Amino acid sequence: MKDIRLLLVDDENDFRQTLAKRLTKKGIPPEQAESGEKALSILEKKEMHVVVLDVKMPGMQGIEVLQHIKEKHPRTEVIFLTGHAATQDGVDGIKRGAFDYLSKPVEFEHLLSKIKQAYDKVVREEEKLKEAEFREHMEMQMVTTEKLASLGTLAAGVAHEINNPLAIINESAGWLKLILNKEEMAQMPRRQDFEKALNKIEKGVMRAKRITHQLLGFARKDDSVFSEVNIMELVEEAVHLVNREAANKNVEIIHEISPDTGTIWSDPYQLRQVLINLLTNAIHATAAGGRIAIILEAVSDNVKLTVKDNGHGIPKENLKKIFEPFFSTKPPGEGTGLGLFVTRGIVEKLGGTIEVTSKLGHGASFYITLPRYFKIKENLDQDERIQFLDHLAELSNSTR
Amino acid sequence: MIKIPTKVLLVDDEEGFAEMLSLRLKELGEKVVVAHSGQEGLDILAKTSIDVVILDIKMPGMDGIETLREIKKQYPIIEVILLTGHGSTETAVEGMKLGAFDYLMKPAEFGDLAAKLEGARKRKDEQEERIRKAEAKLLLRRSGGAF
Repeated sequence: MKDIRLLLVDDENDFRQTLAKRLTKKGIPPEQAESGEKALSILEKKEMHVVVLDVKMPGMQGIEVLQHIKEKHPRTEVIFLTGHAATQDGVDGIKRGAFDYLSKPVEFEHLLSKIKQAYDKVVREEEKLKEAEFREHMEMQMVTTEKLASLGTLAAGVAHEINNPLAIINESAGWLKLILNKEEMAQMPRRQDFEKALNKIEKGVMRAKRITHQLLGFARKDDSVFSEVNIMELVEEAVHLVNREAANKNVEIIHEISPDTGTIWSDPYQLRQVLINLLTNAIHATAAGGRIAIILEAVSDNVKLTVKDNGHGIPKENLKKIFEPFFSTKPPGEGTGLGLFVTRGIVEKLGGTIEVTSKLGHGASFYITLPRYFKIKENLDQDERIQFLDHLAELSNSTR
Repeated sequence: MIKIPTKVLLVDDEEGFAEMLSLRLKELGEKVVVAHSGQEGLDILAKTSIDVVILDIKMPGMDGIETLREIKKQYPIIEVILLTGHGSTETAVEGMKLGAFDYLMKPAEFGDLAAKLEGARKRKDEQEERIRKAEAKLLLRRSGGAF
């Protein structure tokens, strides 16, 4: 009962103070206001569960105060205190959203039980609201996960199919380059133009290849090798691998590792990939003189890994998009837009979760939670991926 | 220096790829024959002398691994380089256990392929050399007994 935040509003000081004393004895110490204006200003500063409100007051009348409360603090319940035999006031109040009304002189026990009922209602409403929020959050997460899963499958299938023509383009360009370098071709007109174009073709192929390999790396199942991973060593290894890039940019990487982290059962190579992806992103996002922190801690049966930077941060509208494939804020050709997509894919494949918080101009934090022990689920294998594509083709044919 | 051409059999169902890769290898002075299925490859091996087979793992019908088994059974001395798609590294490892010289991921860097081709060719030459020496020794011992 101590949790009830109660506000007593009455212009009669004696009555109000006596009531407050008795309520305090019962374990509900109320705030007090002698006028409607005062009551509203208290409510501005502190949210109340229940307001006990006198109808007849000089200045702002009870009914007006009630309207303000319901407008600005819809979750606060109001109990009306009306004058003797002024039932109409009470009815008006209920019509305007009051929880109930009591006529003066008030019987204390009666008031007490009304306050408790009103409080129960507030709590129930709050729970309902929380549940609704939670459900909405879950549903959104499920939609995102499903969306990502189907996108991933599709992307991997496309990538696989594109690899073959890429290989053909690559061999063709390579062959032409060999021919160009023959002695008999030395005098060929506009030879440099040909060379230039062939080099561009090869560069383009390499760029496309990076994308297809990353996509396939995301969806492949058979390279996972699980073993006992000393995650502390893994962090140090990953830091070591990106250290030069960080040093070039004069960005400092520090790690805080709590000694009870120990080992986990997971895939060290993929985890290292995750760390490198996050660290590289952090380095790119951080200006010279910036700082990146890796925090590793044990949280019950999980290990929590935080990568935090004090770089330029992520705008709010991008926070939801950063895990989507092909989303990148880097100029075309520099980022594949797959780093975080793949990172998230790996983390989820390893039974973990990844979250991000960021404030523009104040850096970003990525939180990864991984179970200490996880057995990998079978993913779609290649053949199924191709079938998926066939299926898609059938669908688009049948709708034609 | 005159290059001694390696006799290569390229087995890949992707015709455009097989054609282009074979042209590229030929341009480097290798002798290349192309087959588009495992069976066609085996037919060629039956009538042609080959040093190294470049073999795609994923093919319809008789796949690369089956073809590899058959090659190693019939012509243990011929070296095989496997071409794998992404994500079939396990199959490639299985292939190497079955006697393949090495494997490459598609699309392969031509430099890597050329280096592996040379390695395979070298291993075959050395093996042939050892066989010749062993035969010579055998001959010597036999004839030694006859003296």
